[in-house]
Amino acid sequence: MKTNNKLKHLVIVAAAGAQFTLPAFAADAVAIGTNGTARVEIPALSADGGNSAEAAEIKTLKQQVEALVQKVNALEQQRAPAEQSTTIQNLDQQVRVLQRQRELDQDAAVAKAATAPKITLGQNGFSFSSADSNFVTQIHGLVQLDNRTFYRDGGLNGNDGFLLRRARPIFTGTVYHDFDYNFTPDFGGSVVQIQDAYLNYRFAPEFQVQVGKFKSPVGLEQLQSDPVTSFNERSLATQLVPNRDLGLTLKGDLFGGAASYTLGLFNGAPDYSSTTATTSFQDNRAFAGRVFFQPWKNSDVNALRGLGFGVGGSYQVNHPATNTATGLTPGYTTDGQQKFFSYGTGVNANGPAWRISPQAYYYYGPFGLLGEYVVSDQLVSKAAKSANLQNTAWQVSGGWVLTGEDASYAGVTPLHPFDPRKNQWGALQLVARYAGLNVDDKAFTGGFASSTKSAESATAWAVGLNWFLNKNIRANVSFSHTAFGEFTGKASPGTVPAQDENVLFTRVQLSF
Amino acid sequence: MKTLLKLFLVLAVSATAQAKEIKLLNVSYDPTRELYTDYNAAFAKYWQAKSGDTVNVSQSHGGSGKQAQSVINGLEADVVTLALAYDIDAISTQAKLLPADWQKRLPNDSTPYTSTIIFLVRKGNPKGIKDWDDLVKKDVSVVVANPKTSGGARWAYLAAYAYALEKSNRDDAAARDFIRKLYKNVPVLDSGARGSTVTFAQRQIGDVLLAWENETHLALKEFGADKFDIVTPSLSILAEPPVAVVDKNAKRHHTTDVANEYLKYLYSDEGQEIAAKNFYRPRNAAIAAKYAANFNQVKLVTIDQEFGGWTKAQQTHFADGGVFDQIFQL
Repeated sequence: MKTNNKLKHLVIVAAAGAQFTLPAFAADAVAIGTNGTARVEIPALSADGGNSAEAAEIKTLKQQVEALVQKVNALEQQRAPAEQSTTIQNLDQQVRVLQRQRELDQDAAVAKAATAPKITLGQNGFSFSSADSNFVTQIHGLVQLDNRTFYRDGGLNGNDGFLLRRARPIFTGTVYHDFDYNFTPDFGGSVVQIQDAYLNYRFAPEFQVQVGKFKSPVGLEQLQSDPVTSFNERSLATQLVPNRDLGLTLKGDLFGGAASYTLGLFNGAPDYSSTTATTSFQDNRAFAGRVFFQPWKNSDVNALRGLGFGVGGSYQVNHPATNTATGLTPGYTTDGQQKFFSYGTGVNANGPAWRISPQAYYYYGPFGLLGEYVVSDQLVSKAAKSANLQNTAWQVSGGWVLTGEDASYAGVTPLHPFDPRKNQWGALQLVARYAGLNVDDKAFTGGFASSTKSAESATAWAVGLNWFLNKNIRANVSFSHTAFGEFTGKASPGTVPAQDENVLFTRVQLSF
Repeated sequence: MKTLLKLFLVLAVSATAQAKEIKLLNVSYDPTRELYTDYNAAFAKYWQAKSGDTVNVSQSHGGSGKQAQSVINGLEADVVTLALAYDIDAISTQAKLLPADWQKRLPNDSTPYTSTIIFLVRKGNPKGIKDWDDLVKKDVSVVVANPKTSGGARWAYLAAYAYALEKSNRDDAAARDFIRKLYKNVPVLDSGARGSTVTFAQRQIGDVLLAWENETHLALKEFGADKFDIVTPSLSILAEPPVAVVDKNAKRHHTTDVANEYLKYLYSDEGQEIAAKNFYRPRNAAIAAKYAANFNQVKLVTIDQEFGGWTKAQQTHFADGGVFDQIFQL
């Protein structure tokens, strides 16, 4: 409004004080300026002022022009606000429409994101998930390239070298929210085999049912995931527990994980052996189970949060030999995976078998300690002779993460992943282990094993350094020494227990 | 021993006789929030008095087509109360969650109340909008939702189409041209009826909102009668929003009985009164007469008469590549 008044004032002033420079009054003398107001051009007067008739005519014309100007300005004032208002309203509507469309686009984007499948690729592998997470497919992998070098091995041939210890694509996932699956073949050995193939139904954390092939719930170290064990190979204690078995379990975590249980029914696997899909039929199933407690897991007592203890075990009424297997372990092996004990020819499992394994771990900050004791009892026979053999083993392993990260049963995650450009070097962990295994005397006195071919006991210590470059890549170096007891075949060269085992391990591992 | 047995029986009977807490999920279309908020409270009271059980009804609202798709995709609705029969048909045919003849299970083709499409304009009706013809004028901006996703918008589209057919002596080409001009004046397509009300009333976009009759009254109530006027056109369509129990879901939830009763109660005097108070046209003649002042007189055509039923209308107008896709792209 202020602007309009100002313009009007200017026009009137311009009209009143116009310089009469034009030769004649023109009909189109009134025009609309670019600013929307009227401007006026007045015909010129003669230099001497002209005669009175002309002056009167000019005066009349001037009055008419002034009147015209006033009319034009009045009209302008009436019209301009309406036009301006319309323009502003139109612009306002356009802005509002654009804003609303943006809102709708954002809503649509949110809605689309809520229903769009999610794809993630990171340190935990590849994951493809439906928007509601009811269907998930994950691809993980584990590759371990090892080297073993034996020292003072009495001339044993063929035990040094590189090996692809594990090469496993791991397919896991979920269907219909509550059904998890795992399929893990292994290409690392001499033959491709299925390590895990199971389906797990999660009704609730406290109540889950798992069927298929998976680790038998007995040994603590055995149940630890392969990529996070302290050493390249598990200890002597694990020689007495079953490895992977076929069957089903009922399991669950109670009280937010402060306690867990697993009850299983399996084919029944010999010590540190796995059952296979077709060659391990038994007439009697084996029961296996484990309870484990972490009472302070969810407490504020930091020093006790990482304490866990429990017991695992198995029982089989009768573990007979089959047409294709003796039902017994093919042998107990050292850290270097060399066989130091095996049953003699013609010896078969022929009766009840049971195991029990009290176990515990403790983790506090960078410190970790894990131990277990295992008893494996088996009735064996050879021809008319039979005996109940009770083999025992134990192990204690500890570690200290030199770079300060927390140690845990689930491994070490470096705080500063390896990147020399940033002066970051990952995490370093120092580990040590002491373990032993004793075979029942009766195995030798009863003629079920030969003391010239097998040792009655083995004791091993090992130290190592684990370098976690990042969450996915790890490099290990360790040295293990194993001594054997009650071996009478030292005069026979070429047998494993004839001399102590000294082996240097290295490993480069990729896991995701 | 007998005493123990008696005690056991008493305990068992008392345990089974304990009142239950029942949960129902009603998946509905956009503008029924207020209706079912009122109705659910009334039904809960009724059901508790009748059975002693507590019933909590959860509501889910959105564009009718989108809601139907959600149920097809697994949203566990015990009942659906959608904007049009075609959307419930889709649940029946695509997800097999209820039989094809679901509409015969309740009176009035399972439509306990009806509604129609009318106009809401700015106070004083500055553009002088009186009938559908005014919506195709160049300087009129029309707000309506997307008929591909909104049941109400489909009714609005068909109402406009029916008007155009009548005006042109059933010249389909002329009707399409009318619809093309109308949607040319639509600056924003919301996905649901409630969204288009927000566009018009809150965001102050457009000169006229094509809306459910109840939605126009709600806008007056919510935003103030001094801001808008209701305009009733000379002709509109009889919108029949149907209701149905989603049999398989209800069976799985053990809610079949209460879900059936929940829908039947919509036909009761109390249910009809609640519908009328929320500006849905009740089926009950007496209650319709009682609340006649809530509803302006308008000539209503039906989808069966004008378009040969929902299946045909959907296929012709709203399916991919249908008339709406053709005219809205131009």
